[in-house]
Amino acid sequence: MKMKKLMALLLAAVMVLAMLAGCSSDGGNETKAPETDPPAESKTGTEESKAPEGGDKKYEGVELTMWSMWSTGEPQANVISEAAAAFEAETGAKVNIEFKGRDVNKVLSASLEAKEKIDIIEDDYQRIANTYPNILDLTDMAKAVNYDSWSYACLNNQVIEWVGHLNSIVEQPQIGGFFYDKTAFENAQVTSAPATWAEFLDACQKIKDSGVGPIAQDDAYCDFAFYHTLVRYLGEEKIAELDKNGGWSGTKAEQAAQDIIDLINKGYFVDGAPDAYPASQNKIGFGLAAMVICGNYVTAEVDGNTDTQVNWGFCNYPAVDGGADNSSVYGGANSLAITEYSENAQAAFDFIIFLTTGEWDQKMATEAKQIPADTRNKAYPSLEGSVEALQAAEKPMTWCAGLHENADLKDTIKSMCVELFEGKYADGAAFCAALDALYK
Amino acid sequence: MKKNKAMIFWFSLPAVLSLLIMFVYPVCRTVLMSFFQVESVTATMADWSFYGLGNYLKIFKSASFLTSMRNMLLIWFVGGIITLALAMLMSVVVTSGIRGKKFFRAVIYLPNIISAVALATMWIQYIFNYDYGLLNEIVQLFGGEKIKWLGTDLKFWAMTGSFVFGSVGYYMLIYISGIEGIPQDLYEAATIDGAGKVSQFTRITLPLLKGVIKTSLTFWSINTTTFFLWTKMFSPIDTESSTIVPVIYLYDMVFGGKGITQRDAGAGAAVGVVLTLIIIAVYLVTEWLFKGNDLEY
Repeated sequence: MKMKKLMALLLAAVMVLAMLAGCSSDGGNETKAPETDPPAESKTGTEESKAPEGGDKKYEGVELTMWSMWSTGEPQANVISEAAAAFEAETGAKVNIEFKGRDVNKVLSASLEAKEKIDIIEDDYQRIANTYPNILDLTDMAKAVNYDSWSYACLNNQVIEWVGHLNSIVEQPQIGGFFYDKTAFENAQVTSAPATWAEFLDACQKIKDSGVGPIAQDDAYCDFAFYHTLVRYLGEEKIAELDKNGGWSGTKAEQAAQDIIDLINKGYFVDGAPDAYPASQNKIGFGLAAMVICGNYVTAEVDGNTDTQVNWGFCNYPAVDGGADNSSVYGGANSLAITEYSENAQAAFDFIIFLTTGEWDQKMATEAKQIPADTRNKAYPSLEGSVEALQAAEKPMTWCAGLHENADLKDTIKSMCVELFEGKYADGAAFCAALDALYK
Repeated sequence: MKKNKAMIFWFSLPAVLSLLIMFVYPVCRTVLMSFFQVESVTATMADWSFYGLGNYLKIFKSASFLTSMRNMLLIWFVGGIITLALAMLMSVVVTSGIRGKKFFRAVIYLPNIISAVALATMWIQYIFNYDYGLLNEIVQLFGGEKIKWLGTDLKFWAMTGSFVFGSVGYYMLIYISGIEGIPQDLYEAATIDGAGKVSQFTRITLPLLKGVIKTSLTFWSINTTTFFLWTKMFSPIDTESSTIVPVIYLYDMVFGGKGITQRDAGAGAAVGVVLTLIIIAVYLVTEWLFKGNDLEY
């Protein structure tokens, strides 16, 4: 009988242990930086960080944990892993990278609140600024390395406006506007990127006459495209105000909607637009369309989806007559931040700078087809001009921010934007009247 | 055999603990959270502020939530009728003694073993595609003009249709198992008495499948209430009113969406509670509708 009891107890204990082991976090897809031979001397770092005694290198024995928004095998993940290995070889600090994928934002808040062992996080800079707790103020560290001299002022200022201080370092900047096929433009005798609405209409007509659909438009980005027109006429603040309280009728929003309807009536959208994402944007790769309004990642998406190498060009959304904001450009970023409770904040910061400047930043821009975080580096050829455009921007336009002011109507307004591009509204006034009807 | 109470206790302890920690605690916390203003789903209770029925009032005044409920009810009702009717038809055909029964059963069930992501991609990219999709090829073959299957007018129905396609096989298997449990001598006796196939179906098969139909209705209700992935596939970048369902509304509330950083875990919890109550209500109604189910196989 005693034996039976003992067996029961042991079995129960094994089951509980197995359960607890099953519950333990595997932390996603963890990749440790590969072991490499250490170089002769350390090059990075600005201050002493907590490092055990006895090592020759600056951060000998230091271990950092990074939660990345990429998945193993993606070009960005490969570059980060290689950079971590190089950083370890140079400084002795081992960076354990957990590639959590795009949904890292779903677990970051909880993990940061629980002060889980994370030193560096990687995500959208707006979320880092406005959502996550326990993020370190990087102002002094950034000042010490003269971060302002090679980064994008508009993105840094935006973070400071949101948080009150700099709490993230830009890793992969983004820009939005018209991405076009230079070859299609040249074939249509469009010699320069349109800067005004009149030039834009002229370019569209020439492209249409050359037998190519001027504008590709997917349903997923209809609100983003219309937002650009709205921003030109009204500015982001006014849009946010209207979005919150209504009153669209009688404002320049009517003209903005009318501009889109005119584009449809003139046949400037490629056949099928607005199409189901990414069918319409892919038509640029197939030589059926000339331009699309989107974020810079569209170039890599189209090239990849259609297995082509489009001769990309970029231009800001054209200025309109009497516009309230004729210059702003969409800007965003995936950024890196450090936890407030990190025991090796300086080492973490040094790794971030190591990754986002010089050789590794250039490698990231080249292999992931992106805009470099370090303005001294070169953008991927298809994104030529994007560095200068971001540098010139005073304040970045945020992703449909004005149209997201009223969270309750956001989804309905998005669908109405798709309807606008489908040609469901007789004129701009009808569209604005339909918008105002949502507030009754 | 003498009962060993201590052994029962120790063996059931892991399961009980698991249930308490992983099921009872989250349920209680969610219900409680729905009466508080809470920004983050993991915020400590010290950060919660009592809100009474505020979260419930908020969601029921929200145009997006009401749209999502309407969409869910349409999927449940229209999709449910089509799915369960087709599943019943297929199951009756497959069990009627036709040749190649195993083949047809496997073919109809096939969509269930394919990932829903792959299935949705197939529908979006190859069936509904405006330029080279199968449906528009057929439409053009008959001289018609291409249709925007994924335009705002038809997107919801395109999504529902794809979901139905992926669901029929599962319910068909449930019905097949029910039908195969009915003794064959009942049908033989009915045939001798001169009953036709339709009569046998309505007077023998259907009444004896009451319990199975009740179960399938409950499963269908759970499936439509937790409808999520298909919406994400048909509106990949951001939520749209044509495809939004309550779980997506909840998800956006709790985690924020593209370009949106505001979160409201309290309202999200209220949505969760409402959905649970809906499932319980559907279960109770089906129990009541199918009561007196004294004979089943």
